Amino acid sequence: MTQANGLQFSGHQYLRHRLVLSILSGKALKIDKIRPDDKNPGLRDYEVSLLRLVEKVMNGTVIEISLTGTAILVKPGIIAGGPITHDCPLSRSIGYFLEPLIMLAPFSKKPFNLTLRGITTDDKDLSADLLRTVTLPHLEVFGISDGLELRIKKRGSPPLGGGEVQFLCPVVKQVKTLNFVEPGKIKRIRGIAHAVRVSPQFSNRMIEASRSVLNRYIPDIYLYSDVYKGEDSGKSPGYALTLLAESTTSAIHCSEVVSQPGVAPEDIAIQASRALLREIQRGGCVDERHQTLVLLMMVLGSEDVGRVRMAEPTERTIQFLRDVKIAFATSFKITPVDASSEGPAQLLYSCYGTGYVNTNRSLA
Amino acid sequence: LSSKRTKRRDWTKLIYSSNTTPADIVRGSTTADDQPDEDDDLFTVKKATDDAEALDRTKDLVPVDELKQWEDEEVLDSIRHLFITGGDDVGDEA
Repeated sequence: MTQANGLQFSGHQYLRHRLVLSILSGKALKIDKIRPDDKNPGLRDYEVSLLRLVEKVMNGTVIEISLTGTAILVKPGIIAGGPITHDCPLSRSIGYFLEPLIMLAPFSKKPFNLTLRGITTDDKDLSADLLRTVTLPHLEVFGISDGLELRIKKRGSPPLGGGEVQFLCPVVKQVKTLNFVEPGKIKRIRGIAHAVRVSPQFSNRMIEASRSVLNRYIPDIYLYSDVYKGEDSGKSPGYALTLLAESTTSAIHCSEVVSQPGVAPEDIAIQASRALLREIQRGGCVDERHQTLVLLMMVLGSEDVGRVRMAEPTERTIQFLRDVKIAFATSFKITPVDASSEGPAQLLYSCYGTGYVNTNRSLA
Repeated sequence: LSSKRTKRRDWTKLIYSSNTTPADIVRGSTTADDQPDEDDDLFTVKKATDDAEALDRTKDLVPVDELKQWEDEEVLDSIRHLFITGGDDVGDEA
């Protein structure tokens, strides 16, 4: 599978983290058999768009797509960063594009100042709200914090979008080693209810319904009704409830449910609240959707043993761990944390950091 | 609570030295044919179970059935100890 000087994979799955691993490890990436037997073979429009975006933030990167679109070759250059604007296709939300870029941004030459336009919240990828309130704090534990910001300038619901976000990320030389094994106890719950191009009452109805589930646990609950008006509310109607629970050790668990046709705002809110409880029950120090981000930063950490306590790996995480081993020759040791406690299994993930140094960073 | 998976699983081994697909690992099916081949983990044959429509998505669908159990008072109370207000006498060592 592995060539001496490159990464080779098959299939369209996991394109995003494979791109990231290729760029950070500096190894060429070859992916073949991208939907070869499909009626509409090859890359989808959003995948091509992602490759174009990667080309924009990089310098000296060669990306070749085969005629049929079923194979790609990426020879990574350096991560350049700087001010970039990109229009995301409406087939995927901004989160699809931002998630991999967040993994690259800290290792850029110039700080990222990225403006993305499109759909800000959908049910497939992390929404702008989750990225802002959950993903960015996960970067902060690695020492990436000063000037780290995501601004939601306009909201855009599917299908027509019309949203806009601005992502600012500082450049670091190296990331800190993580040692995060105390999940702590939940001390507060925060939430954002937003509703665009529908009755503003919808967000209040969501907040009320969510409180009916969550009030029993702790008093420190603040659910914010986020109102965007006129131009800033995008082109399509939609609403969502984003919830996060923060522990005494700053572990964050989150959930989000997006409006569906024919479902009342109350039901959306109750689903989101229950999903949050499920997430809290799964426990650990890291939210499930952020496993790969945290594990990647641990691999890049300084040459020391990093440890983190999390729930069982998701499918994505398992494949990610396998691909990390191919790209960086780093494997994790995964051991159960004391099995005597009841509830879902907790695992301790540890690895020896590769001591990745950001050589792109311009000096002074 | 979740007693369905009482057997201790060796995650390091499942991930790094078996051909089991991620989906099968998560589902917990470790059938005989995907037992790890101890000594040649370098040559993993990737059987592409490639569903062309399977999306590379971060947010998994909320399993509505699984959320149903949260209607139950007992289940709701079972995680009380995970909150600061829940006292520390119960369960978890955290």
